[in-house]
Amino acid sequence: MKARPLLRWAGILCVFAAVSVYCIEARGSGEPKAPAAEQADIILIDDMSAYGKLELPPVAFAHDKHTDALKKAGKDCTACHKQENGKLVLKFMRVADGDAQAMKTVYHDNCIGCHAQTAAKGQKTGPQDGQCRSCHNPKAAAGKQLDMGFTNVLHFRHAESKDIASPTGDKDNCGRCHHEYDKAAKKTVWAKGKEGTCRYCHLDKPVKDAALGVEVKSFRQAAHNDCVTCHQTMEQKKQASGPVLCKGCHGAEGQKAIRANDKKALEKVGELPRMKRGQPDAAVIAVNVDKAQAASGAKVYAMRPVPFDHKAHEQANDTCRSCHHKSLDSCTKCHTVQGTKESDFVTLETAMHGMASSRSCLGCHQTKQADPKCAGCHTSADKTRKASTESCRKCHAEPVQGLPALDPAALSGMKIADEKPLAEPYLTGRKMEAQIYALDDIPDKVTIKVLADEYEPSELPHRKIVMTLLKNMKDDKLAGYFHSDMGAVCQGCHHNSPASKTPPSCASCHAKPFSPNEPGRPGLKAAYHDQCMGCHKAMKLEKPVATDCTNGCHKPRKK
Amino acid sequence: MRRRKFLALMGAAGVGLALGKTPAHAASNAHFEGYPDAKAVLFDATRCIGCRKCEEACNKVNKLPAPAKPFTDLTVLDTERRTSAKAHTVVNKYMPAGAKGPVFRKIQCNHCQEPACASACFVRAFKKNPDGSVTYDASVCVGCRYCIMACPFNVPTYEYDEPLTPRVMKCTMCHPQITAGELNMPGCVGACPKEALAYGKRSDLLKIAHARIATFPDRYVDHVYGEREMGGTNWLYLSGVPFKELGMREDLGVTSAPEMTSGALTVVPMVAALWPALLGGIWAISKSNEKTADKERMEAVKAAIDSNQAANDAKLAKFKEQAEKDKADSIEREVKKALEEAAAAAKEEEGA
Repeated sequence: MKARPLLRWAGILCVFAAVSVYCIEARGSGEPKAPAAEQADIILIDDMSAYGKLELPPVAFAHDKHTDALKKAGKDCTACHKQENGKLVLKFMRVADGDAQAMKTVYHDNCIGCHAQTAAKGQKTGPQDGQCRSCHNPKAAAGKQLDMGFTNVLHFRHAESKDIASPTGDKDNCGRCHHEYDKAAKKTVWAKGKEGTCRYCHLDKPVKDAALGVEVKSFRQAAHNDCVTCHQTMEQKKQASGPVLCKGCHGAEGQKAIRANDKKALEKVGELPRMKRGQPDAAVIAVNVDKAQAASGAKVYAMRPVPFDHKAHEQANDTCRSCHHKSLDSCTKCHTVQGTKESDFVTLETAMHGMASSRSCLGCHQTKQADPKCAGCHTSADKTRKASTESCRKCHAEPVQGLPALDPAALSGMKIADEKPLAEPYLTGRKMEAQIYALDDIPDKVTIKVLADEYEPSELPHRKIVMTLLKNMKDDKLAGYFHSDMGAVCQGCHHNSPASKTPPSCASCHAKPFSPNEPGRPGLKAAYHDQCMGCHKAMKLEKPVATDCTNGCHKPRKK
Repeated sequence: MRRRKFLALMGAAGVGLALGKTPAHAASNAHFEGYPDAKAVLFDATRCIGCRKCEEACNKVNKLPAPAKPFTDLTVLDTERRTSAKAHTVVNKYMPAGAKGPVFRKIQCNHCQEPACASACFVRAFKKNPDGSVTYDASVCVGCRYCIMACPFNVPTYEYDEPLTPRVMKCTMCHPQITAGELNMPGCVGACPKEALAYGKRSDLLKIAHARIATFPDRYVDHVYGEREMGGTNWLYLSGVPFKELGMREDLGVTSAPEMTSGALTVVPMVAALWPALLGGIWAISKSNEKTADKERMEAVKAAIDSNQAANDAKLAKFKEQAEKDKADSIEREVKKALEEAAAAAKEEEGA
């Protein structure tokens, strides 16, 4: 009799343990066990949040894992995506969204349905009915999808590919991707010579275009629809194709592979061929002048026009979008002196000189200065300082005897093709290499005795520094042109005084620290340390270590 | 009045005073915005390279004992340190997330415009000098170390290993040396090779600090630490990373410590002054209450006695009357009896 209750308790415990194990398993996360944050294919399904507060957490869905599994099972994308007009719909198992209940049913029936079928076949599969938390895991998070930029090289690879035939039979492939909507024909057609980047029309979110009477897809939708669908059909035809998996474009490894192939393609052609869009080699950027006012003989007051090397800038940038952010029209079309509604009233001056935008001339040139080779001199420079007259003249060309005059009134409304003969003589006449004084005029060593009471005098390898800076600018057109005036290189250190072969010594301006008259000017000791250490740090020069006084620049004083 | 009731009354009075708006501050009646020509030091974390030259200079200028490890040993920076009785300033190394490399921060007394240490000290050992420094007078110190508890920056330290004359130790902004003409700026400032420390008028330094932020907006956090923290300090800080990342408290608010306690503290002298009057009044009231009660009791007793007297008198009179009546009756009875006896005797005599 005594053993009976013990046995009963043991039985209850066993049942409890079994239930616990089962429940914990049900609550445990099935899918995202790997470092989810690193995986490009993990997307967060939170479509239901559009219908109000979520009952359960959104689902982290490993897209590539499913694609691979379906492929092995002999299924393709249509297992999960419906087709419309011959293209896959990016939504899951539906063409359009229904109400909340319908959406829930679409997901639950199809996800769990497929998992159940697979399980019935005795194969490994995902969570089943009742295992709610395996999908709706509160810890779930989307993976990291790197932005995929369509660079000029990648564009070239697509444009030159023999596998991508133009639908119109044209010798160029442009029409395969570039399109505009034909309202009459109710379909997209190729408008030759009017191609732009996808993002001009396909914005962050889908937009209803009242004039065309259609909804223009978001960039995300458009890119996945066109790129992935095309890659996929190519792959089905066993042709060489681009990535079809998420990680192929948005994963670090995939992007690395693309860059490697880009490099190979570039090596084959040598120099990257230019796009065939009828863009100018050279142009003149000028202020729009009121023709009537100019014709009346009134004097025109405007900045001198800027001869612009379009070809060189094409080669130096990854995409047209680097500058042409809204359309491939010329900048002055929207950015006028006063600004227009189309330009959001961003004036021509700001569009060209604004430091806040990497699309403006100065803004972009400034980002190039972040290169450690340049950063030594350029990060310490005060960015709010007014540009000097000399630097204005580097772009705004002074009239040169014998070269065509650049008259803003004449340039206003001129065809872009006609600007080339005006701009080119100015561009070819430019000095594109950094200049320094004769070697003998550059002191080899400079001895600094300021801290002679503590240390032996410091010896600055002056000429070596100058030559290193010069070497860093070799083969760099941008740096070469902007340092082509004699003494410009020297001004990295010998700042705030006119460029000269014999600049004033540091001590002539930097003397006592915290002078009430010059509160912002460092004293001599700090001026030296700031200049040397600041430059070394910005140029990522490891040696000498800034805090290692006696093994770096100073030698211990001999008693 | 019972003791408990009294205390409750006193408490209510105190809270009422503390809650009321008190324009008066602990130190004075006016809002103190710092001495106009007060000096300050501006520390710029973006310039500091962590060389410890400031620590070395501080040690030398203040004639402090040599440290266990030399100042050139930068491995010291690997552990976070705080000021001690033997080091009035220390530099700490921080590795903030997102920063390109280590960022250094120098710790020393911040020389508050309205110092918490001074307001906590009941012997006025601490003094805010017109030159901006906060200094300490060991000769009056009783060693209570309230100043150490009061400081929001954990700066003052104590000579625990000094058995006979322990002192509170902290940075003086080299006030004694500058006053004596030995130095023209604090030792640490003069030693800094990078001018990560700047010494000047507080108002000028604030302008310089804001100018640096305006000139290099992407290099600095748009905040000058110490401009308003704890009512403002005479040691100001610029940084390229959030100050929290440099171990600096961002929860201190902009009210100085004395200002925060002034409301409650103003009650203290008031209570002290009012106590005799209050206690006297309460004593008088209770005394008079007692008196009235006594009087009433006496009257009641008297009245009671009076009314009893009357009743007794009436009773007595009645008794007397009764007695007299009884007496008269008995006399009459006796007389009658005697007369009857006499009559009987006479009859007998007649009969005999």
